Amino acid sequence: MKLTRRDFSRLAGAGVMAAAAPRLFAPALAQNKPLRIGIIAPRSGAAGTAGECGIRAVQWATERMNKEGGIAGRKFELVIEEETNPKDTIERLRKLILQEKVDAIHGLISTGVSLGVAPVAEEEQALVVMWDGTTQDGVKEMMPNPKYVFRSTDNECEAVMGSLLAVKHFKGKFKRVAGINPDYSYGRNNWEAFKQILARFGVEAEFVAEQWPKIGTMDLTSHIAALNAAKPDLIFSSMLFADLPVFMKQGHAAGLFEGVKLVLPAAGWQINQLKKEFMPEGIVFGHNTLYFDHPQASALQKAFVQDYVERYKEVPHWEADRAYFAMATYKAGVEAAQKALGKWPTQEQVAEAMPGLEVESLGGKGRFRKDKIAEQVFYQGPSTNSNKYDFPTLASIDTFSAEQLQKPPGADFWEWIKTAKMPV
Amino acid sequence: MTELIDVFLGGTFHAAVLFLVAAGLQLVFGVQKIVNLACGSFYALGAYFGITAVGLAIKFGMPPVLFFPVLIVAGLAIGLVGLPIERVLRTIYRRDESYQLLITFGFLLMFQDVFRFLWGATPRTMDDVYLAYGTANVLGVRVPTYNLLVIAASLGIAVGLGFFLERTRIGRIVRATAENRDMAEGLGVNASKIFALVFTVGCMLGTVGGALVVPSGAASLDMAVELVVESFAVVVIGGLGSMRGALVGALVVGLMRAAAISLVPELEMLSVYLVVVIVLIVRPAGLFGKATA
Repeated sequence: MKLTRRDFSRLAGAGVMAAAAPRLFAPALAQNKPLRIGIIAPRSGAAGTAGECGIRAVQWATERMNKEGGIAGRKFELVIEEETNPKDTIERLRKLILQEKVDAIHGLISTGVSLGVAPVAEEEQALVVMWDGTTQDGVKEMMPNPKYVFRSTDNECEAVMGSLLAVKHFKGKFKRVAGINPDYSYGRNNWEAFKQILARFGVEAEFVAEQWPKIGTMDLTSHIAALNAAKPDLIFSSMLFADLPVFMKQGHAAGLFEGVKLVLPAAGWQINQLKKEFMPEGIVFGHNTLYFDHPQASALQKAFVQDYVERYKEVPHWEADRAYFAMATYKAGVEAAQKALGKWPTQEQVAEAMPGLEVESLGGKGRFRKDKIAEQVFYQGPSTNSNKYDFPTLASIDTFSAEQLQKPPGADFWEWIKTAKMPV
Repeated sequence: MTELIDVFLGGTFHAAVLFLVAAGLQLVFGVQKIVNLACGSFYALGAYFGITAVGLAIKFGMPPVLFFPVLIVAGLAIGLVGLPIERVLRTIYRRDESYQLLITFGFLLMFQDVFRFLWGATPRTMDDVYLAYGTANVLGVRVPTYNLLVIAASLGIAVGLGFFLERTRIGRIVRATAENRDMAEGLGVNASKIFALVFTVGCMLGTVGGALVVPSGAASLDMAVELVVESFAVVVIGGLGSMRGALVGALVVGLMRAAAISLVPELEMLSVYLVVVIVLIVRPAGLFGKATA
């Protein structure tokens, strides 16, 4: 075979093109690789059930969104790490960023852990979307203007709503009030917020007992004895871990709830464990941002709840919504940034695009404010045991938005609670 | 008055469970001179296994009234896990105490993963037993009957254990071995068998305690560590190695805690450890412990 000069030029040209191809098409190839999203969530201990519920929801979201084309046309996969104490969780965050080279990190439930993780994420310039973590020391914001870290709604939202509903449903029907709340800043702030809201609405109450069991206390008989001795008409409790069902069971057996009104703003986290046999009716019962049995639920929520119940033989709670919300807002941010830039965005560009984008989450519509704090919809109401489940549902649903329940950017919570326009 | 009775009964219920675990700890130390940090794991093991046993009882259609004896039998049965563990501990009987602490602490951590593997990380509850026995009225105070059953069972076990150690032939051999192992062996006692027996009984006390407490609460991965800390408070107050000390120490801890919760909830833990500190200063060997040179 004779090789002409023209043939040689053609072959040489093709060779140069072939050699250059990897460089020329590198961005396109990179974009064909699946996105990697790190998930940090507790899988054991007091918050283990919550973490597991969030992980199940985010796995469901991954399956569903990938079927519909992924995020801006790219499929994505999850890299799951456990949330434990702040020190170890920071190590896992670094591992996700530096070794796993994830494109974003979602998760985090404990504010105690989030407070430690957030500055590291900022330093590493890693986009973090928290499910339930905030960067507040008590109610004081420690990171007013983060660049990469998106935080959940304020933890006190549910207590503010529960307190308002106590006024709405129980005003004039109680005098002696007792509290049993978890012994850390969340429980203490919720109890104080409850007392201040009662005072603001002119409810004359006598506070007859305050109990502060530490998280995970499984023998509450002495606490119940102390509450019984105080003879309250109303008990407020923001307990939310595995100790809440124990409290309800032991309290019921000791006759604590007879003729007593109950406000449990965070009970939804333990919905599957709060059995009718020990749950009185008419409790102001909080489901936070996902009420699984909402009669006007969106098609998205209905599909999720149905799949969840079929797969896990229990109903989902609000951590599922928080996990889905994080994924939906991240997806919206990536797609908006890519559309605006005409190329694949960096984590910084995604973080810039996310605030203000409204997304449909499992429990309803939500968005991130400019200061990267979430605004979602909250559901609570008086409970009933007349339903097909073995736990209570809501007899009627009160629906408030986060704008009504959380302090605006830069505001002091205790000042805000004294002056804010409340929805009751 | 009713308030006082309420607080007393709450404290006694806590003490009843605490006694069982602390008694196991005392028995093992008294005879084998091993500070068994894994005692909390036996307690948690009993709780988890109790849930499984009651689940099976429900499956076989047993009436709820039989669940209490089912829990005791389940606790005793799973307590047999003490036998293979004692075989492992034999390797360090004559070594420094630090080895004993490390190996039993190792068991404590390993058991946590065993629970996670077998029963999952989520706290497990059992709702069918606690309320099945209804409530009783004690001097005008409404109390879950189940709590009274646990207190009665714990008292019964304390009496039975006392009888076993004081009045039976094997009990005398156990005490002799505790007093002087070499002398007992010289007189023909098989100390290895006695150690295996004692460790298994100690383990059973913990597992029965866990099985009995779980209907009122939940089985969780953290429960082992939490109880170890309180059990050591009982041991320090009562005196290391003393069964009477375990009983009195458990009552002191249970009642102090209940009183503090009722009067000044913030001082719940402080009140208990204040007693521990006072006992350590005034009577370092504990209320019923033997002073050593």
